Amino acid sequence: MRTEFYYTGLSPFQQGGFMISKLNYYISPQTIPYWNLGMEAFLLEWVPENTCILYLWQNQRTVVVGKNQNCWAECNVSSLEEDGGYLVRRMSGGGSVYHDKQNLNFTFLVREEDYDVARQLEVILRAVRSFGLDARKSGRNDITIDDRKFSGNAFYKSGGKCYHHGTLLVDVDKQAMSRYLTVSSDKLQSKGVSSVKARVVNLKELCPDMTISALCDALTDAFGEVYGGRPEPIRDSSIDLSRVEELEARFASWDWRFGRNVPFSWQAQSRFPWGGLEIQLSVEKGCVIDAMVYSDAMEGDFIASIPPLLTGCKFDAASLSQALSFALASEEETILADIRQLIKEEIK
Amino acid sequence: MAEEYEVRGIPSYTDKDTWARVMADGTVRIGITDYAQKMLKEIMFVDLPDVGSEVVQMQPFASAESSKALSDVYSPVSGTVKAVNDDVIGDPGIINRDPYDAGWLVAIVPSNLEEDLKSLLSADAYKDLIKEKIR
Repeated sequence: MRTEFYYTGLSPFQQGGFMISKLNYYISPQTIPYWNLGMEAFLLEWVPENTCILYLWQNQRTVVVGKNQNCWAECNVSSLEEDGGYLVRRMSGGGSVYHDKQNLNFTFLVREEDYDVARQLEVILRAVRSFGLDARKSGRNDITIDDRKFSGNAFYKSGGKCYHHGTLLVDVDKQAMSRYLTVSSDKLQSKGVSSVKARVVNLKELCPDMTISALCDALTDAFGEVYGGRPEPIRDSSIDLSRVEELEARFASWDWRFGRNVPFSWQAQSRFPWGGLEIQLSVEKGCVIDAMVYSDAMEGDFIASIPPLLTGCKFDAASLSQALSFALASEEETILADIRQLIKEEIK
Repeated sequence: MAEEYEVRGIPSYTDKDTWARVMADGTVRIGITDYAQKMLKEIMFVDLPDVGSEVVQMQPFASAESSKALSDVYSPVSGTVKAVNDDVIGDPGIINRDPYDAGWLVAIVPSNLEEDLKSLLSADAYKDLIKEKIR
């Protein structure tokens, strides 16, 4: 399947960008997404005047959702976690993307007055063209080859500083991408930003010689050529690792990943030997604020005692099942076990 | 052309494309301007502060995400959030359709209203600013 969930947009803070006198680059030594996003946030705080930083980084198996997205509507969380993958949320808006070690991420970080998305995209285009590929700008901020996207871009501004970042698909596992980013929508009614599907292409399909390290080299070369300077690596002494780790902890936290204020409702239904059952949950900031359980079972009083047990729970299969795990008379225990199983099957 | 962006007479404006309107009960309603919503295009999500939280003049207090960008929203006045507009959380498109009325974002109990209003722009001054911005 050639689908990636994707976002591009024109930032309203576009500026001239001719004041850059210093070019820096930093290639991340890590593949843990929380650390890489922490480093990106650190570099944004750190970027000096008249400087453009090119940050290159790679993540292990990861789904990255946009700032205002509902993880559960965008990502098959349980399948991703079973495979040892990470679910992370970035600071920029837009849709969900999949990363693995055959994807290369780039970030341009500058002061607001030096932000120039056209020039930044030119660096990417020039690097990709150096492999003989006909990469083009299409629309305002998309870059494509034969109308297929190999890069998803997003933008962020805070405190007079900006970044523009994106993916570069070299040889990512498209089946995995599709598996994690395909979610059945009938169970969830969500606020928040939804992703837009796009046809994607791996650069290696078009250029068999393409590798991550060759692309890294091409990007730093193109960076120097487009901005007319010599990119220098950022020295380790400039990096406040304790600050990076502080920011990393924020990206890794449950509050940031699942607890953002993107309300949604979820429902599931099934029929069991003891009767039919429908559960509806309203979720805010990652926790159940309202639960309703309908059933035609004989044990009406017992069914009615279930919703208060779920209210206040974190919305995930383990937490909800935990809330319904306690010793009871055998018939009631059967009902609870069936509901736990339903939750486990239906919350992905 | 600047005329395609509606600017109303009563509210006061910021150069960050937000407006403030003092209501009869003394609270101040805040929203984004017609120019801002047209720049953003289709708004898909607004992140509003909790009731009871403090906002500071010319500091971001909310954000709006559209098909074009994720943008901070800057407060015209300082104070405490008294109410948030639940309607725009449920249907952010209201901001596109009616930025000055139904599309208000929060109501603030102002803490320094007189001073804050002095530093805001009149409708005419904001119209001139739009002309600058689109030039």
